[in-house]
Amino acid sequence: MPTERELQISPIVPESVMHNTKTLSNLQTLTASIFGAAAGILGLESYSGFLFYLIFTIITTVLFYTIRVAPTSLKAGHGFFDTSRYFRTQYEFWTGGLFNGLAGYILTWTLFYGLVRA
Amino acid sequence: MTWISKITTAFGILLLADACYSAYEHSVLQTHRAASLSSLAASHNAPSSSLPIDITIETIVATFIVCLGIVLGTSNLRPIQWRVWAGKIEREGEAGFLNNNGEVEKDYVGNPFRLLESRPGFVDIRKQRKEFAEWVKNK
Repeated sequence: MPTERELQISPIVPESVMHNTKTLSNLQTLTASIFGAAAGILGLESYSGFLFYLIFTIITTVLFYTIRVAPTSLKAGHGFFDTSRYFRTQYEFWTGGLFNGLAGYILTWTLFYGLVRA
Repeated sequence: MTWISKITTAFGILLLADACYSAYEHSVLQTHRAASLSSLAASHNAPSSSLPIDITIETIVATFIVCLGIVLGTSNLRPIQWRVWAGKIEREGEAGFLNNNGEVEKDYVGNPFRLLESRPGFVDIRKQRKEFAEWVKNK
């Protein structure tokens, strides 16, 4: 966390932070519902279902990084996995929204499992 | 949502729907077969005799395509450091803050100091003179 002094020297725009986190969390919630449909179709059970969710959410975050963050961030000279241009901490970007869509995932998972398994 | 993201997402959802219906048909076939075969024996209710491999592959590929389509449809991120953000406004103006439809985003603030800069004692008269000359030239 930057100190008060560092925030006075290089301040942070709060509406940009809000916009970025809102974009990321909307994305994760929306894709989680789609992953639930896929898990229901495949007929995954308890542990493998949650593992499926975790893996695909991480894939989504990586995809989001390569499409939205990396082009401008690398051009501006940041490091290879540095998200400090758009997000406050790397931890928040990669792991903050990991369980964001879990509710929607379980919802569509049980729905499609019941529909497809007759 | 740009048009390419819409196309990709729609195609992915189509594939997913096809996989869903195929899996449903498969499971109906299984129960029908089990019911007609073991009408004597007790119901050996093993619901998930595994799905054919092509339906599995189709589901996973469809998931990837939908995910790609949705990620392509996200809006541009904004820089969070104040100097980068203010520099972007200064250099690109409104053109740097377009959303996916090409319009300026609704919560675009613009130059945060424009009220200060339009005070009479702080007017940059040379810049305004130059802008007026260019406007006359371009008319």
